[in-house]
Amino acid sequence: MKLRYSPTSPYVRKVSVTAIETGLDGRIERLPTMRWDPDTDLPRDNTRGKVPALITDGGEVLFDSLVICEFLDSLHNCAKLFPPAGGERWAALRLLALADGTLDAGISRLLELRRPQSERSPWWIERQIGVVKRGLDALEDGVGELGARIGIGHIAQGCLLGWLDFRYPDEDWRPAHPGLAQWFESFSARPSMVRTVPEEAAPAA
Amino acid sequence: MILRYSPSSPFARKVWVAAIETGLDGRIEGIASHPWKAPDELKALNPLGKVPTLVTDDGTSLYDSPVICEYLDGLHDGPRLLPPGGEARWRALVLQALGDGIADAAVLWRVEQTQRQTLGQNPEWVERQRSAIRRGVDQLEAAAGDLAGPLTIGSIAAACALGYLDFRHAALEWRDRRPRLAAWEARFAARPSMRATLPGEPL
Repeated sequence: MKLRYSPTSPYVRKVSVTAIETGLDGRIERLPTMRWDPDTDLPRDNTRGKVPALITDGGEVLFDSLVICEFLDSLHNCAKLFPPAGGERWAALRLLALADGTLDAGISRLLELRRPQSERSPWWIERQIGVVKRGLDALEDGVGELGARIGIGHIAQGCLLGWLDFRYPDEDWRPAHPGLAQWFESFSARPSMVRTVPEEAAPAA
Repeated sequence: MILRYSPSSPFARKVWVAAIETGLDGRIEGIASHPWKAPDELKALNPLGKVPTLVTDDGTSLYDSPVICEYLDGLHDGPRLLPPGGEARWRALVLQALGDGIADAAVLWRVEQTQRQTLGQNPEWVERQRSAIRRGVDQLEAAAGDLAGPLTIGSIAAACALGYLDFRHAALEWRDRRPRLAAWEARFAARPSMRATLPGEPL
């Protein structure tokens, strides 16, 4: 299988962590990176196609990151990251939606800050800040129910928090979210997280 | 169950269409809210402050739209909108990702047009969304064969995204040079579930 990726995208990281946790990373060849935008971790040239995208052994192109993760989860026989049907599944998918939605808002704010100063929308920026705050608060509320067994929600949450550290290093979320901080300290020590830490992007070409 | 929705949201439409197609709409009470002015009690249900959000019979809130649709798909006995496994499942999910991706870009473009007051629209930003939409629609044209197969959440997502383009970005003329997709969409849009959920202005 081949993975179209960018080195700092948190969506790609979710896939990479999933691949490592499910023992499948050895089967995935990373395609040479497309030019990416160092400010947003998104492909600079949007016409090149989606990132991440997985090209299966049968030649099918899968996206987006959630579909890829669920597909990878179907290829192994160990403990599933996506619980099968039932209350556990909806809880995992809701955690996933909450973490990814919070991440989306963080990215949206970053994109807005890329505009020339005079063109930025304070309303939009405030809105995204509000979403991130409420999202983190909700994740903090739920940290006690997370459980030790890792699932896709955990991975999304870990990638979100790692990305916030990476792109908003001066805005530490930890003091207001001590439960999350403690959880993240332990989670980010997993080899899958250590191996996928986003590295500072090269200067824009 | 209660569905918090907006009459203009293509994602909420996807949920309503899925509910009607699976015979579940009678069990869902809809409460409309404005997509950009979420009341506090919606934020209490969904910290992201977004529609659609479903409140299930036991009081749990569910989001976002793919999760809601998958949840509803487990409540009926008819053919699954999301195949349980195999290639059919991934195809349906990829089509949904395509449709939702088009709708995402179209909504962002709409925000750029209407929510920036005196700031004006940034042409580069608009072009970014337009080219994402064009690329997505081209991919749907290429997947017209899959769309014409059994009803799935993928075909519903695609149809709702295209309907939103007609609603908010008619000048884009997505049908231009996409004959197979246009023909499919015309047939799909005639379904009672689609006719019952035409987009309207937020309250």
